[in-house]
Amino acid sequence: MMFYPMCRRFQFSFQLPGVYQVFESVARKYDVMNDMMSLGIHRVWKDLLLLKMHPFPGTQLLDVAGGTGDIAFRFLNYVQAQHQRKQKRQLRAQQNLSWEEIAKKYQNQEDSLGGSRVMVCDINKEMLKMGKQKACARGYKAGLAWVLGDAEELPFDDDKFDVYTIAFGIRNVTHIDRALQEAHRVLKPGGRFLCLEFSQVNNPLVSRLYDVYSFQVIPVLGEVIAGDWKSYQYLVESIRQFPPQEEFKEMIEDAGFQKVTYENLTSGIVAIHSGFKL
Amino acid sequence: MSAAMATLLRRSLRPLRAFRGHPRPAADVPLRATSHGAGLLYPEHIPTSLVQKALLAAGSAGMALYDPYRHDMVAVLGETTGYRTLKVLRDQMRRDPEGAQILQERPRISLATLDLGKLRSLPEDSFGREYLRFLDVNRVSPDTRAPTRFVDDEELAYVIQRYREVHDMVHTLLGMPTNILGEIVVKWFEAVQTGLPMCILSALFGPIQLSAQSLQVLVSELIPWAVQNGRRAPCVLNLYYERRWEQPLRALREELGITEPPRRIEGLA
Repeated sequence: MMFYPMCRRFQFSFQLPGVYQVFESVARKYDVMNDMMSLGIHRVWKDLLLLKMHPFPGTQLLDVAGGTGDIAFRFLNYVQAQHQRKQKRQLRAQQNLSWEEIAKKYQNQEDSLGGSRVMVCDINKEMLKMGKQKACARGYKAGLAWVLGDAEELPFDDDKFDVYTIAFGIRNVTHIDRALQEAHRVLKPGGRFLCLEFSQVNNPLVSRLYDVYSFQVIPVLGEVIAGDWKSYQYLVESIRQFPPQEEFKEMIEDAGFQKVTYENLTSGIVAIHSGFKL
Repeated sequence: MSAAMATLLRRSLRPLRAFRGHPRPAADVPLRATSHGAGLLYPEHIPTSLVQKALLAAGSAGMALYDPYRHDMVAVLGETTGYRTLKVLRDQMRRDPEGAQILQERPRISLATLDLGKLRSLPEDSFGREYLRFLDVNRVSPDTRAPTRFVDDEELAYVIQRYREVHDMVHTLLGMPTNILGEIVVKWFEAVQTGLPMCILSALFGPIQLSAQSLQVLVSELIPWAVQNGRRAPCVLNLYYERRWEQPLRALREELGITEPPRRIEGLA
């Protein structure tokens, strides 16, 4: 097990090795299990997060606990599509491209992302490895960087990023308030915090069905597909542990964010919390 | 009947009450938190509801067919479907003097408990020497058996663990190699001997992957031989193998009424 010099958590959090090893064993089958457990709906949730983010070309994104790259890849697709749309619009409005831009096009030097960059940060080596492999397989190269780091102590300077996202990662952090403070620190003024996470279901019938499904079906799926009952039992229990929407909103406000809002998806099974550093 | 069903349904719908209320950091959740407040009966125990067992049984059966290399799925299938049969097996072990001793002393077979050096020094035709030869030739190790997790009785968990651990001994007694055909023959023998649903399912569905020639040999010669021997022999779980290393294999086979296999199948399947 790796000891990261900058990570002080090992000294007082003896529960941490448990979480780390869970994701070590889970990494390989992470994407398959996500599809199985959420019946593919997690893809819609992540798409909705990007829609909410609505990044424009030039955005600097930090995706924390972004392990296998789902958010990063969607971000790259989004800004690339935006950039192409912008260029089409320019051409159609008969704003001619400058000679420099034409020359760059011929030399294939043009930045198809328009200056956008995404940094994927994760505490777990196995998850990052999976993410890099996926990136290679799908041909994502430009604008993508992978960094090993701890959400409670990010290896970045202050005021660096336009957007900070954490999708299905913050419930695994030992000290959520510290992660929120770090998020506030590394965002530029005007930057946006976005969190996609499991939350409290607001509909009693859906809640019942969701509980049955979570506790009866998901560990079984974990055992049958990934050969790992305990990790998935842990997953469903960590979801129940996480603070409900309003409480989490208050925690985000405590970290210094303003205009904090949340949006429930699928009757509150997940929620997107958003805040700004102003 | 419907009252019992209602209780079962209600029990499986009950959410995890112990974890409501003050939310703690998720990393504090112990990995072995149980879902219905039941205590662990043995260290590796994972308590499961009836619904979970049914889903596990179905899922593991499907996965075992889909990916034959998932031996863990066969094990899970055995654990989730074998409760009643294990009780019968345990009871008949209690009635047999050697079986009762095994239940009491709970011997385990693993690299830690076997003295391989001593086995190697035994005379050529002894059971212990032949068992070691079987392990060497087929390149298997006695440590590959996963611990029992889904059986909700501590003694029965041992019984199924013992069944798994003596599987290699049964191979030695029957003279069957570890290729697919050999495994199917052993499963037929075990199915007749133990009645475990997992053995019966494996015996019936295992042959699906065989070639026509192997299937022919299996059905015409090997299965009748395995069934005959399975019926004739006393339950192989009642043998205290650890005390019989020096016994000549031939004598042991005679004692159990096990005949030579009708033909060698090393090259088949």
